[in-house]
Amino acid sequence: MTAHLAQDSIVLYAALAALLLPLLSFAFSFLVFNRYSWIISIIAPVLLFLCFLSACFVLLHVSKEMPFHFQMSWFTVGDNEITWGLLLDTRATLMMVVVSSISLLVHLYSAGYMAGDSNIQRYFAMLGFFTFSMMGIVMADSLLMLFCFWELVGFSSYQLIGFWNERPSAAAAATKAFIVNRIGDAGFLVGILILWTYSGSLTIQEMSIADIPSFYLTVAGICIFSGVIGKSAQFPLFTWLPDAMQGPTPVSALIHAATMVAAGVFLLVRIYFLFTPDVLMLIAIVGAITSIIGAIGALLQFDIKKILAYSTISQLGLMIMGIGAGNSLASELHLYTHAFFKAGLFLCAGSIIHVLNQASREKTLDVQDIRKMGGLAKRMPVTYLAFLIMAAGLAGIPLSAGFLSKDAILTGLLQGEIIFLIIGFGISGLTVIYTIRLLWFTFHAKDSLPQFIQKEQIGDPAPIMKIITLTLAAASLWLMISWNPIDFNGWTSQYAQGKILINSSVITVASAIMILLISLAAYLYFRDKTLSEKTSDIMLNNFGFDSLYNKIVVMPMLKLSNRIQTLDQKWIDGLLHLTAYSQVAIAHFMSWWDRSVIDGSVNGLAIVAKGTGSITRSFSSGKIQTYILWSMLGLIIFIVWIMF
Amino acid sequence: MNGSQSILLLSAFLFSTGLLIVFIKRNAIMILLGIELMFNSANLNLIAFNTSRPQLPDGQIFALFIIIVAVCEAAVGIAIILKAYHYYHSAIPDQVSELKEKN
Repeated sequence: MTAHLAQDSIVLYAALAALLLPLLSFAFSFLVFNRYSWIISIIAPVLLFLCFLSACFVLLHVSKEMPFHFQMSWFTVGDNEITWGLLLDTRATLMMVVVSSISLLVHLYSAGYMAGDSNIQRYFAMLGFFTFSMMGIVMADSLLMLFCFWELVGFSSYQLIGFWNERPSAAAAATKAFIVNRIGDAGFLVGILILWTYSGSLTIQEMSIADIPSFYLTVAGICIFSGVIGKSAQFPLFTWLPDAMQGPTPVSALIHAATMVAAGVFLLVRIYFLFTPDVLMLIAIVGAITSIIGAIGALLQFDIKKILAYSTISQLGLMIMGIGAGNSLASELHLYTHAFFKAGLFLCAGSIIHVLNQASREKTLDVQDIRKMGGLAKRMPVTYLAFLIMAAGLAGIPLSAGFLSKDAILTGLLQGEIIFLIIGFGISGLTVIYTIRLLWFTFHAKDSLPQFIQKEQIGDPAPIMKIITLTLAAASLWLMISWNPIDFNGWTSQYAQGKILINSSVITVASAIMILLISLAAYLYFRDKTLSEKTSDIMLNNFGFDSLYNKIVVMPMLKLSNRIQTLDQKWIDGLLHLTAYSQVAIAHFMSWWDRSVIDGSVNGLAIVAKGTGSITRSFSSGKIQTYILWSMLGLIIFIVWIMF
Repeated sequence: MNGSQSILLLSAFLFSTGLLIVFIKRNAIMILLGIELMFNSANLNLIAFNTSRPQLPDGQIFALFIIIVAVCEAAVGIAIILKAYHYYHSAIPDQVSELKEKN
């Protein structure tokens, strides 16, 4: 027993280390002098490496049967004791490893990508802070604690999107992301409070055994899902994610592809037991709409990062649909594989942008447009190789991890309505098409680089960046899921999931054949095409959702605010002024009272005393004759008094 | 009794006149003079009352004493007035006011 306890405390320390080391990196970034800011780009990855090791250690020591649960009192409200704690089951620890490993790779990559940036300290600080918050979300055992970290994640995302805050567009995108996330989070908070009211507890474990009326469970589920809609960029709140591409590309890889947007999916999986069939149906519908919109967006965009952003939206929609209509464990699996290959794709895109920017004579011009790329495969072979492998993962080509996890989702969708299975297949097909399009026009199509780019300077980026992208490419192979390239019930799913998924070879074969055929067709289609120079306005504005939101939300809000301002000035300020004026008036009256009555009575006393004094003094005027007169009068009075 | 009554009236008149002189005259000599007048009216009273019991001369003897005291008093008073006049160059008491607050 004691040995067991000792091991438990070691696991606790390792988990706390994994949580707090990124925070240490955040704190350390502020201690380094500006002149030596390059130190932080060495220290931060080292700390993250330690964090990764701790996470791996925890993973090895947590078993499926006995989740590790640590709890401490946080504060007490009335009779309700609020606790904070760590709940480390296999799912959470696996997510910890995914988060810390991708964060480590992004830190290393950033050391190359951001070298020479004057604000590198702030960058690494916020990166560390983000990792800390994300680890907090993963480990939290209560919804309140999870919500706190959820907000911190939103804050650090805001900081990092607007990292280049001298660009107005970046600042606007950061504000937009923050505000849109707030809308969802308001619902999340309401959901938490409903659950608290009816279950009397905030911890996930106690909620799972609480008896909550099904109506309130449905309402709470919808509210919590609204938080997920905000954070995971689901319809109708997805518009912030394409704009968030204003941030540095490694940030996009870490936050807006691999981890933060996946937090919503993770939350859904973690509290899956709370959702009633109605909520699950809503989740499935929202996920389906999102995945379709995202896929179409990715198909029509020209900005390389925005294509990847829409692709992320689509894949997240797929996962969410999988949770709503199929098997949540399959979505979880796809979450892990997607995290690796999408982060890698972003980092490859970052390499391309970085190299093109360095080769460009005019630093301010946009180099993210795939219409102005092409032929990069020969110039950047290593990046091309990594990109190819991870694009295969995104498209779901057999032998990639993406194939297995997507296959798992499609198999899971067999359980639900048939329409979702059809949508799932459709999304897989669209994914293949836009992936081929992106790959073709970036690397293969005829070289259409603009004049201001010095072509002889284009080459693979710094070694560290190459190694990172290749590592992520390796992590996108089927080996991440299982040894068998067509069976998704491999070691990762065995480890992460409580039960074995049903396996349908029909789906597997069908999806494999379909994906390969569509790849071929798309390749043949795009081979001879060039992209038109026209970009439709609809695409630039997120399908018109931005202008729609402007019309129905922003403008009325502005009008309402103006009204309220007028009201404020008229009534609230008026009342305030009235109070102020009346106070001044009262003060004047008081001072008059003071001067005339209070001072007056004192002065009056003094005057009376003075008058009495002068009257008394006038008797002794110093004239002898007056004295005689007075004493004579006194004598007469005396005599008169004696005689009568 | 009628005779003594008119003497008493005279003496009252003299006393009042002396008192009035003491009150209203500014010069110290004149004040001394008023005092002498009051002495004499007192003397007149003594003599007038002595007429009602002629077997004893006590009233008249008393008047003699008063005359002597009045002479002494006048001598001392005039000496003081002279000395003060010498010192202050004034025989008016109101102007001798060294103790009084100046205003």
